[in-house]
Amino acid sequence: MSFSNVKLILSREIRDQLRDRRTLFMMFVLPILLYPLLGMSFIQIQQFTEEKPTSVLVVGARNLGDAPRLFENSQFALELFSDPDMARLLELHFLRDEPPRPMAEQRDEAHRAVQAGQFDVALCFPETFAEEVEQFQQTIRRLATPSASGRNGESAELEINSRIPQPDTLYTTTSDKSSIAQNRLDEVWNHWNQRLIETNLTAVGLPVAAARPVELKRWDVAGETAYRGAALWSKILPVLLLIWALTGAFYPAVDLCAGEKERGTLETLLSSPAERSEIVLGKLVTIMLFSMLTAVLNLASVGLTGWLVFGDYPEFAPPPPVSVLWLAIALVPISALFSALCLALAAFARSTKEGQYYLMPLLLITMPLAVLPMTPGAELNLGNSLVPVTGAVLLLRSALEGSYLLALRFLPVVVAVTLAACLLAVRWAVDQFNSETVLFRESERLDVGLWLRHLLHDRQPTPTVAGAVFCAAAILMVRFFMSSALSPSPGEAFDFLDFARVNLITQLAMIALPALLMTALLTSSPRQTLLLRLPPWRTVPAAIVLAVLLHPVVNAIHVVVQELYPVSENLKATLRGMEQVLNSAPLWQLVLLIAVVPAICEELAFRGFILSGLRHVGHKWRAIVYSAVLFGLAHTILQQSLMACIVGVVLGFVAVQSGSILPAIAFHMVHNALQVSIGRLPPDWLDRWPVLNYLIRPVEGGYMFHWPVAAGVAALALMIWFGRLPYPKSAEEELQEAIERGSHEDDDGAVRVVA
Amino acid sequence: MIHVDGLVKHYADLRRGQFVALGGISFHAEPGQIYGLLGPNGAGKTTALRILSTVLRPTAGTASVNGFDVLTQPSQVRHQIGFMSANTAVYDRMTAWEMVEYFGRLHGIPQSELTERMEGLFERLQMNEIRDLLGAKMSTGMKQKVSIARAVVHDPPVLIFDEATAGLDVLVARALLNAVAELRDQGKCIVFSTHIMREAEKLCDRVAIVHRGHILAEGTLDDLRKQHDERDLEELFFRLISRHDEAHPPETVAS
Repeated sequence: MSFSNVKLILSREIRDQLRDRRTLFMMFVLPILLYPLLGMSFIQIQQFTEEKPTSVLVVGARNLGDAPRLFENSQFALELFSDPDMARLLELHFLRDEPPRPMAEQRDEAHRAVQAGQFDVALCFPETFAEEVEQFQQTIRRLATPSASGRNGESAELEINSRIPQPDTLYTTTSDKSSIAQNRLDEVWNHWNQRLIETNLTAVGLPVAAARPVELKRWDVAGETAYRGAALWSKILPVLLLIWALTGAFYPAVDLCAGEKERGTLETLLSSPAERSEIVLGKLVTIMLFSMLTAVLNLASVGLTGWLVFGDYPEFAPPPPVSVLWLAIALVPISALFSALCLALAAFARSTKEGQYYLMPLLLITMPLAVLPMTPGAELNLGNSLVPVTGAVLLLRSALEGSYLLALRFLPVVVAVTLAACLLAVRWAVDQFNSETVLFRESERLDVGLWLRHLLHDRQPTPTVAGAVFCAAAILMVRFFMSSALSPSPGEAFDFLDFARVNLITQLAMIALPALLMTALLTSSPRQTLLLRLPPWRTVPAAIVLAVLLHPVVNAIHVVVQELYPVSENLKATLRGMEQVLNSAPLWQLVLLIAVVPAICEELAFRGFILSGLRHVGHKWRAIVYSAVLFGLAHTILQQSLMACIVGVVLGFVAVQSGSILPAIAFHMVHNALQVSIGRLPPDWLDRWPVLNYLIRPVEGGYMFHWPVAAGVAALALMIWFGRLPYPKSAEEELQEAIERGSHEDDDGAVRVVA
Repeated sequence: MIHVDGLVKHYADLRRGQFVALGGISFHAEPGQIYGLLGPNGAGKTTALRILSTVLRPTAGTASVNGFDVLTQPSQVRHQIGFMSANTAVYDRMTAWEMVEYFGRLHGIPQSELTERMEGLFERLQMNEIRDLLGAKMSTGMKQKVSIARAVVHDPPVLIFDEATAGLDVLVARALLNAVAELRDQGKCIVFSTHIMREAEKLCDRVAIVHRGHILAEGTLDDLRKQHDERDLEELFFRLISRHDEAHPPETVAS
């Protein structure tokens, strides 16, 4: 790759974008105008939308008797409000009861009126309300007199509780206004209640202050630090940053890829000596710059408007300047990631119109990653920091809240994860530029029938990449929809037979069947697709030994994974229950169900159909890793998924290097068999065969291997042996190797011509 | 200079199944020669030339340009060629000078040499009045000039023109043909595809008549006239194509 070419392409693309009036408007003018305008209209609207009054229907007002004053001049009494102006907001309407009607009838009428929205709330006092209040006061008085003190407190309490008067309020949660009215009413009610308490206390000769023995004083200490407004800004700014970084990347990306395709200049560029990777990098950096610029301009505009409009509210106090620096730092990797994603999508699009369609799905996919960390419980830890975007947002939030030490601790992890994600996205973008079907795609009429016929008629020996991904997606979908149907409802008895049934259905019908069906329908050589070949004979025992050697390593990794992503208590309980069920069965049945059947079914699907399809990407390792990720996704519990993903890489490698499914099945079988049987080792074995003590030690719920490192080294040696085996390659892999050879063969070719 | 040997290209096509765009064509073109690919629309000319310019990969067969293989050494091949087709447009938001300079620099020409060469080129192609004109404001003829300048700025030994005169008026087309002939006289190896007989007659040293992905006849124009005993190239062309279509009805060819 020549960096002078990248620079050349970069400066051209920037100039090109800067000459586009639409881009300039979207990037620079819009944000500068938009937020002040929004802020201004907010102030304008604010002036018109004062708080609206809510209506209260009072039923049975006359039943109040001589309780403390509640109403005054057809309003609630002013002294019942902390802010007397608020009295205006509760409009009172009294239900007419001339001629007098039964209370139940009046209450029904109020009920209907609130339901119909004629009134926001209704307040009903029963006919006996005044009497009840009176009786309650008498009871209190009686209990408070010294003659009654002989009674035990419990029965006194009971007596009081049975006499508490209970008026009703009716409201409906279907209307916001009703809820608001109910809240306002609550305030009045609390004040009135306080009056009643005071009356009752004075009646028995106690000081009014007795009703308030302790008063909680609240202090917000945030005000003393520079982070007063941080709580709010630390939630708003990262999300805004993400949205604008994505939007700012998207439009230039569409213009620079789909737009160039549309205008016919892409072919000009592709037939120039610029390498695909140089083109991608030049465009990527351009997109990134625009993405960052858009985000910065928008945030600056939001900040300024916020400061001007809401500057007086303490909760909107601006975050300290140093956090702005944090935003800027976080912006770089986030923009890089989004730019690469947008670039790949835009390269895939045929036209700018098609490109625009991809913005919404992209937003929908990335937004949860950005918004989930905003949920109250989410905090920065190692597990979260390993998730792309989420980790970056959490890091940013910690930094904005002033927890720099915490943020610094996870900075390397977040940066590494973001970089890895970026590299993957760039890789994808380069692949798009290398794929002629993507570059020279023509719009075809949508015709499902023709398409299906094409799939069946023009099938190749092995599935396409799209076929492989579709197969994985089909397995995931079927599992997703069927798992709720198959899993036992809580509380239902679940025995080993049920487990066997669920497990067999999952493996046979949801994993093996889709893969086999698709093999039969979409490929012309099931043998080649499912790797049904005899491997070099040594590879089968080698795979078995590898499985044994890797077992301690996998266990060690499992412990780390459990530390990083602790299993929730609920899930633990479920798993413990499951373990008990499993331990009730004979070992051979367990091995059959957990080792033999999955080894065959999952290998046929993931190392057979899916990996064979993915190998058309042209890079062995990429195909292996992709298939391992899909394999991981097919496991339902996160911790299991991670482990499956790691083991999936080894399985894929073994399958590719041996060119056969058999060693992979052997590995998988032994690996799973060790997992289930190691816990069932009779305790007296360690005493009977002391030599075992050198290999394993008992831990809670099973055994742990010693020597994970030594076993790992031995396993690595074995993997290297596998790596040296000659293996069958896909056409695309052969081509890639030929290209690599070709470009090495005559490295001075380019120089010769230019000179 | 250009060696094309048994080039095959298939496309997956929903309607036509596995569509054969090129059914194994072979030809050789030498320096100082204009090699014409003559064929109706959809004959496979563009596919063949796209493979030569490395933007498409062949399904089978080999092609090499100045000794570099198009499949395994694409980047070296791109240094050898100047490629111009109806599909290689000029940038809307770049001036003529910027556009040519950009591609010159992508080819790694040092700035001083590039400026000198461009001055000469702009002079020769009479492009000085559109020097600072944005692509979006240019007429088709102006764009075509910029494309030629862009394709030859690095002085490549091989030039590929794919339907380069499509959509041009007589004056511009004539100027373009003259430019191509001039390049031949400089010793360049030129592949020139067209569906216009007159252009082929006027320009090409050798022609291959391409139809439905196959070469039906190949040689100098005189050879072809003698072989088929037909003076009129258009007649000859028409006869070859109808004969091919009779022998291979489209359905069987396409499937």
